[in-house]
Amino acid sequence: MNPIIHIEGVHKYFGDVHALRGVSLDVYKGEVIVIIGPSGSGKSTLLRCINRLEEFDRGTIVVDDIPLDTTENINAVRTEVGMVFQQFNLFPHLTVMNNIMLAQRIIRKRTPAEAQEKTIALLNKVGIPEKAECLPGQLSGGQQQRVAIARALAMDPKIMLFDEPTSALDPEMIQEVLDVMVTLAREGMTMVVVSHEMGFAQAAADRAILMDEGSIIEEATPEVLFSAPKHERTKAFLSKVL
Amino acid sequence: MDNIPFQTHTNPADTAPENAGRHFDRWWILVACVIGLIILLVVAQPDPYRRIVLFVRDGIWVTITTTVLSFIMVLLFGLVAALGRLSKVKAINGLATIYIEVIRGIPLLVQLLFWYFAFPSVVRGLGELLNIEALKNYLANPLVMAVLGMTFCYSAYMSEIYRAGIQSIAKGQMEAARSLGMSYFQAMRYIILPQAVRVILPPVGNEFISLLKDSSLVSVVAVADMTRRGREFMAANFIPVQTWVMIALLYLVMTLFSARVVTWIERKTRLER
Repeated sequence: MNPIIHIEGVHKYFGDVHALRGVSLDVYKGEVIVIIGPSGSGKSTLLRCINRLEEFDRGTIVVDDIPLDTTENINAVRTEVGMVFQQFNLFPHLTVMNNIMLAQRIIRKRTPAEAQEKTIALLNKVGIPEKAECLPGQLSGGQQQRVAIARALAMDPKIMLFDEPTSALDPEMIQEVLDVMVTLAREGMTMVVVSHEMGFAQAAADRAILMDEGSIIEEATPEVLFSAPKHERTKAFLSKVL
Repeated sequence: MDNIPFQTHTNPADTAPENAGRHFDRWWILVACVIGLIILLVVAQPDPYRRIVLFVRDGIWVTITTTVLSFIMVLLFGLVAALGRLSKVKAINGLATIYIEVIRGIPLLVQLLFWYFAFPSVVRGLGELLNIEALKNYLANPLVMAVLGMTFCYSAYMSEIYRAGIQSIAKGQMEAARSLGMSYFQAMRYIILPQAVRVILPPVGNEFISLLKDSSLVSVVAVADMTRRGREFMAANFIPVQTWVMIALLYLVMTLFSARVVTWIERKTRLER
């Protein structure tokens, strides 16, 4: 079986900074991967390369058998890959309903009735159907992030990328977002999650990866990586986080 | 609301959160005062004030037409220039930058004189060179040249306002739109511009008012606007003080009125965050 995401020898520079140093990773359909690592280790950059919000300088990334090499491919890939951001990035001028409906209408070309039906189903799924007519500014952080997840899911993506989805949230709101993510994982969504939430990793992840200085240092099941890491740098990082 | 009998005239919208923006804007009084002053002068001293107003009446329409036409074109062309300036394609970016820098460095009056006197001459010369009959006999329409000149000049300034507005929208908005599969232009149209418009409304309103005032410059290129009609009236009647007081008051009404309308639109479109 071909991996749904195939990353091979990817390098990325920001000016003089060598942000990714030959990263290779295969993700198979239905897998949930958690990436941890110190800030500046390149984990967000790697995630952003998968739907080419960042261009990479060398290497290969193939998503769902589409190589990320030409601009024509990029929108095709992006419609199959949902992304959830640390800062939610909801559209503040649109209601929750329209945030989730807009791309369905203009990209997926759904009728208003279809898009609305899908939106209501998704809002039920993330647990806030009553907020459909609110503006994002009227919601709490946790609610906003759940809307953001619903917005990404509305495109029926094959893969979901989460870039530190709970880092900007107040502690009491983290769980409601993680619950949605765990449900999603159990339903068989392919997910790549940059997050330090050990609870989520242990509940839902198939593999955990530690990145440092632009490279993958260690890769194992979450149980092994968190409790019996082999690599010194993993131990050092975990001792700071736990 | 039924149990508050003394608020019989309250309409439901008054209780909506945006009713902060529904307070009466006191500066409308100033507009009313200037209108009142004009009426007072016209009624109390029909000679010369009523005569002046009647004489420049068609000029008022020319001023409004020139300003509104130019402004609509500035809104469109300014956006094109701004997107050019934001483009990562070096040639487009360079072209837009040169246009903006050059145009902003030349006085509007000089630009208007160029469009009216030099441009038709250039076109006719080109006609001779290429032997195209239509171009050889090209004659400039003053109003068209004036609108063209104003558009070309003001678009350069407007593009910088657009650019600042677009850049003020957080980068994450574009990324979120793109990650949903939208193209750059779809993201601009549905996500970035609707937000940027709210940000840039005050400076855009200022541009409109500047444009209205600077439209008086078109009087030098044979457009019979308010200012030119004023000059004609003064030349025929030798009463400069009354003439220019009235012209000034007429401009003042228009600018003050426009400023109020801009404020009103701003309040209407304010976004809760």
